Amino acid sequence: MTNRPEPLRILAPTSFRQALSRRSFLQLGGAAAGVAFLAACGSSESDDSSGSESTTAGTSGATSGSTAGGASVLGNYSNVINQSSGTLSMYTWGDYNDPEIVGALAEAALGVSMKVDYYGSNQDLITKLSAANGSSGFDIVVPTGPYVPMMIELGLLQKFDKTLLPNIVNVDPLYLGQAWDPANEYSVCKDWGSTGYMWNKAVLGRDITSWADFIATTQNEASGQTSVLDSPNNVTGMYFWANGIDWTTEKTEDLDACEKFLVDEFAQNIKAFDSYPSTKIAEGAYTSSMIWNGDARQAFVRIEEAGGDPTEWAWALGSPTTELWMDNYAIATGSPNPEAAHAWINWVLTPEISIKDLNYHGYHSGMKDIDKLLAELVPDLVNGNMIFFADDEVATMRTGAVNTAEDRIVDIMNKVKAKAGG
Amino acid sequence: MTAAVSSSKRRSRLPKFGLALPSFVWYTMFFVVPIAIVVVYSFAAKDSTKLIPVDLSDPSLQNYRDVLDPDGVFFTTFKATIRIALIATTLCVLIGFPVAYFVAFKVREKWRATLLALIVVPSFTSFLIRTVAWRIPLAPNGTLSGWLQDWGITDGPLQILETQTAVQLAIVYNYLGFMILPLFVALDRIDAGMREASKDLGAGRLATFFGVTLPLSAPGIAAGALLTYIPMCGDYVTATVLGGAKGNMIGAMVASQFTSARNWPLGSAMAVLMIIAVLLTLLVGVIVVWLVPRVVRMVSPHLAPVRARIYQRGLSAKATKSTGRRRPEVLKVVLAVWAILVLLFMFIPIGLVILHSFNSGGSFSIWAGGVSTEWWGALFRAEDTIAMLVRFAVIGVAGVVIPKVIHRATGRPSARAQRWIGLAAFVTAFVVNGIITDWYRTIFRDVNIGDAMRNSFTAAFGATVIAVIIGSLSGVALARRPGKWTVVFMALVFLILVTPEIMDAISLATWMEQLGGPFKNNIGPINFGLIRLWVGQSLYASAVVTLIVRARLAGLDESLEEAAGDLGATPATAFRQVTLPLIAPAVIAGALLSFTLCLDNTVISTLISAGGVSTFPVALLSATRSTIKPFWGVGSVVLFMVTMAALGFVAAVLRRSGDSSSQIAATMTGS
Repeated sequence: MTNRPEPLRILAPTSFRQALSRRSFLQLGGAAAGVAFLAACGSSESDDSSGSESTTAGTSGATSGSTAGGASVLGNYSNVINQSSGTLSMYTWGDYNDPEIVGALAEAALGVSMKVDYYGSNQDLITKLSAANGSSGFDIVVPTGPYVPMMIELGLLQKFDKTLLPNIVNVDPLYLGQAWDPANEYSVCKDWGSTGYMWNKAVLGRDITSWADFIATTQNEASGQTSVLDSPNNVTGMYFWANGIDWTTEKTEDLDACEKFLVDEFAQNIKAFDSYPSTKIAEGAYTSSMIWNGDARQAFVRIEEAGGDPTEWAWALGSPTTELWMDNYAIATGSPNPEAAHAWINWVLTPEISIKDLNYHGYHSGMKDIDKLLAELVPDLVNGNMIFFADDEVATMRTGAVNTAEDRIVDIMNKVKAKAGG
Repeated sequence: MTAAVSSSKRRSRLPKFGLALPSFVWYTMFFVVPIAIVVVYSFAAKDSTKLIPVDLSDPSLQNYRDVLDPDGVFFTTFKATIRIALIATTLCVLIGFPVAYFVAFKVREKWRATLLALIVVPSFTSFLIRTVAWRIPLAPNGTLSGWLQDWGITDGPLQILETQTAVQLAIVYNYLGFMILPLFVALDRIDAGMREASKDLGAGRLATFFGVTLPLSAPGIAAGALLTYIPMCGDYVTATVLGGAKGNMIGAMVASQFTSARNWPLGSAMAVLMIIAVLLTLLVGVIVVWLVPRVVRMVSPHLAPVRARIYQRGLSAKATKSTGRRRPEVLKVVLAVWAILVLLFMFIPIGLVILHSFNSGGSFSIWAGGVSTEWWGALFRAEDTIAMLVRFAVIGVAGVVIPKVIHRATGRPSARAQRWIGLAAFVTAFVVNGIITDWYRTIFRDVNIGDAMRNSFTAAFGATVIAVIIGSLSGVALARRPGKWTVVFMALVFLILVTPEIMDAISLATWMEQLGGPFKNNIGPINFGLIRLWVGQSLYASAVVTLIVRARLAGLDESLEEAAGDLGATPATAFRQVTLPLIAPAVIAGALLSFTLCLDNTVISTLISAGGVSTFPVALLSATRSTIKPFWGVGSVVLFMVTMAALGFVAAVLRRSGDSSSQIAATMTGS
């Protein structure tokens, strides 16, 4: 605890937490709140119909999906949809958009046909783009916040034409103007989330209450049955969070200690490096996993599908401190179809599409007044408490950084992986 | 006399290696130079501030020291990989040999083709989806695990996934076919007279096997070992999909240096060491092959009593022949059961892929309990697809039946013409459907996967055209214009075949960035991503075509071409009218093999692909990072069916040209 050089490095420090507390009722589950809200305005709209309506919606202010009670909040949002054409190619994280939003719906609404490829870490993304140096063929990429400055510096991102993104006003100002891109010249929030652990209570016979606990179980009860994220900063982060060290530390002694511990004492207990363990959790491959909140939310669905008992499993946010990440839409340098890229990003910033997407991937999409939107569009949201966090939870989250330690962290991960196989 | 002189004069215009020149240039451009660059990188240091993160200002051997440090973290992966590959190769021989023996000696000719086809067929399903499919039976919560626990064989859930055992199992599975085929070819070539002579001389079953059959099948074992061991060493997919942290292999480790770790110099050193390790083990293999007969000769005097005993047993077996009649039957039954078990093993994952394409749940590997065509509907637009199939059927049937009816009535057109009309009908159906469906785009509901599938075909087609052209030319040159150049060229082809694909992949990926031009900019309507795939996939495929064509021509008398020359044909005419028809079956077989290889190419394609031009395996590999939706199974099944249709078509063509199943198998393995 002595090793914290800076005060809490959290995304939009104060205002963010205040805003979260305003909507902290959602921690009880969006469902209950949503049902109450809906009962009040007497609408029974499903997200499906609203999705198709957005394709016919005209320009700004059009209240698509008007409700009987006239209480729809959709009219408070900008709803500009710019037609475009051609193909649009996106390089993003695995299974990170509703398939319709990157498929048939985009084609119907914008006239754009989409192709999507996936990467597993920001390093993968940067390698692919920098090796191609402007000829990767990708239009839209989705880097995590701290990597944005580095990518700008390497010339991998191109500036937005803000006139083509009028719907940016729909984003809660909390999630705009982040340190990595203060004027949102290159990037705009896709969604944000955090990291925690998921474990099988029945097998483990105990709960995991902190990162130190996660490490301890991995070394003991769950040795050889634990997966960690295939992301260097998360693996080193786990050590730093557990030991009360700022996970953005650049101190050599911190990094040395981290490497020594992870390579010598931890690596051999790892079963897999897996950024999306949800499916394999359902297959029964892991007893405990380091996992992002949206994927954990999907894991419960998968477990049920596999005929398992979801109540045997538990999920918790990392403690005492954990990650706060924000992924951002950006346009790659040399984008073959920047016009369509703008049109698509702008379209995803319309409230209905944003919420439809949120309901799929399970991460907070940063829309303003998102609680009201959810209540209207997805009244039956499942496990909303895994998407929206209470303010005391948000207070434990820390934004990462890409600094002089980055090379070293990647190097440590490289050694951890090699050691884990031996 | 004058004609012969003039023809040899004409010949001399072109240097002996003239026909192989396109291959020479191609291989230099896209194999030698890029690999050389990787070798240079291996002496550099990492500099992540650069776009190409390599600092060459202070070359050193540090990367090699890091990898070779026996206590270091990387060395263990090297050892593990070599061990997995050696064990798997041995298992492939042990499992495959009885099957090949059964097919070659115990099965009637008419069943042979069917059995061989069954052995080859699994290889034409996507390598990646077959590997993923192993997750289904092996899952700790899976059916098999449940049975084993119910029967009390295991205490807890099956713990195989994410271990070396899973990798070992799947790797044997993935390469078994490549072992059985060359083994069969070698066994099939053994003169039946040799085995009979051995028996007539009183040798028993065992003595004949160890004295005649096994030594004569050695070339097949060697070829099979080569075809399996090398790709196993560089295997990237199996370890990635099934291995977890424990089953890591060099291929995956090298790839991660070039992607997530961004440590190109270290990755280059690993890649160079991997090639050296492969070549070293091959060298050891060659030495063993060279030593064994000599050792056997040395110890054979000491074995005389043993031989005598075997001989005696053989005699007594012969003496009691009337009662011992059932023994060969027993052997045949045992071999048949073994072959059936092996075939079952090879078809289990494919059956599971088909079954799980009808999964009602949201994940390919997790059976949600219900059968549903939901995911077929998610991938295809039912109406457009059915309309397309109907058009295909109508035009195809019309092209086959109508000429036949007319033939019956009028005696025309001839059988040959009918075949051409049938082919024309197929092409017409293809074009008509193409125009109606925006070249098969509109039949897909999920255009993302649809485009990936279409790209797969476009990429494989282009790469096959390149491979067939340059491969056939150099194959002809090798067979007909041997010289000093042959050694150099064959060494090059051999290197291309033994270099693990991951090495080609990383070197090509870096090289194409530096070349720029058509690898970075579209040429007219042709996307540069496609050009990259054509070039990348053509390398290995052209080497395969080269060997197949060379093998075919080497078995044919050159006098035919000489006669054509003597009769005054120009070399070009002689080539067109004599050589080309001679090599046609080999060219078709080569084209077929390279098309299926390219269609399934994962490693090179993944690393060189550009945004928007993913092929099906590339897209599937990227989808394995998260939940694999059941429509990937649907796509694999459809790709499999299309490939099988193409194969059946070509097999029919080959059959017409009079080759037996054995010859087809021999041609396919390039021996």
